[in-house]
Amino acid sequence: MATTATISISSDIAPGFGGISASMTLTQAGTITDIDSTTGFQIRKLSAASVVDLVTMANELVEPEDSQAAKIYIRNIGYKDVIDKSVGVTIGVKSEPIGKLYGGDWMMMPLTCIDADDITATPETADTVVLEYVMFFEEA
Amino acid sequence: MATTTAAVTLTSDLLSDNMSVSASTTCMKAGTTADGLDMMEYGYVDITSGTAYDIIGNTPTASKASKLYVKNHSTDETYYISIVLDAQAVGRLYGGPNDTGDWMFIPADFHDANADVEITATGGTNKICYALFHEGTTLVAS
Repeated sequence: MATTATISISSDIAPGFGGISASMTLTQAGTITDIDSTTGFQIRKLSAASVVDLVTMANELVEPEDSQAAKIYIRNIGYKDVIDKSVGVTIGVKSEPIGKLYGGDWMMMPLTCIDADDITATPETADTVVLEYVMFFEEA
Repeated sequence: MATTTAAVTLTSDLLSDNMSVSASTTCMKAGTTADGLDMMEYGYVDITSGTAYDIIGNTPTASKASKLYVKNHSTDETYYISIVLDAQAVGRLYGGPNDTGDWMFIPADFHDANADVEITATGGTNKICYALFHEGTTLVAS
């Protein structure tokens, strides 16, 4: 079965836009061999408007191989069934902000897995919010 | 209200029991619960190897709720594009046979003029599809 991800985007912004549907099979870099490692599915509760490491690359129990085909999925699932789309959590790589996940938003992003390139999360407010995430990578 | 919906299904057999995750979100403007993103750019381009290109020509309004989709449609699994944001390497999107190449879907901050999404192709000419959903941009005067 391998590891697969399918995206479907629909939008009525532009007349005639037929939407996007795409699938990918997560493989090891430059091959058609299935990707072989994962952090497993995790959740992280955040209750302060300060930056934290969601993934600290150097602390992974299984060392990820650098600069390969790693991916991370992250979703802001709110807290206790309350999903607030008006506030969000900024996701970053190292000190670079990538973008903000508002309540219910999700992202799928490639990663370098270089030790310095930790994945960070910075809530917009101190209101409790939960992120769920899973990283797929190649074992070093 | 314009409505843009992005859904994902993620499955894996790497764990002892199969994992399956599904999620869907309606893409709203920053800080609102009732007004959806209402502008977009959509393209399909060939990226020749070796040179870094900004995939987004105009900078969307900074620090908003833009969403960016990029897929590598190259059918050679050794081809890839490197994604860089504001000089920070993010990762690689590889091609794949039968259109199974990598894609990404991220919130895109565009927090300053240097935060363009830069891609560099490796291996050969990569075929890239991209879509940016946003809420405003500064057009470049001709």
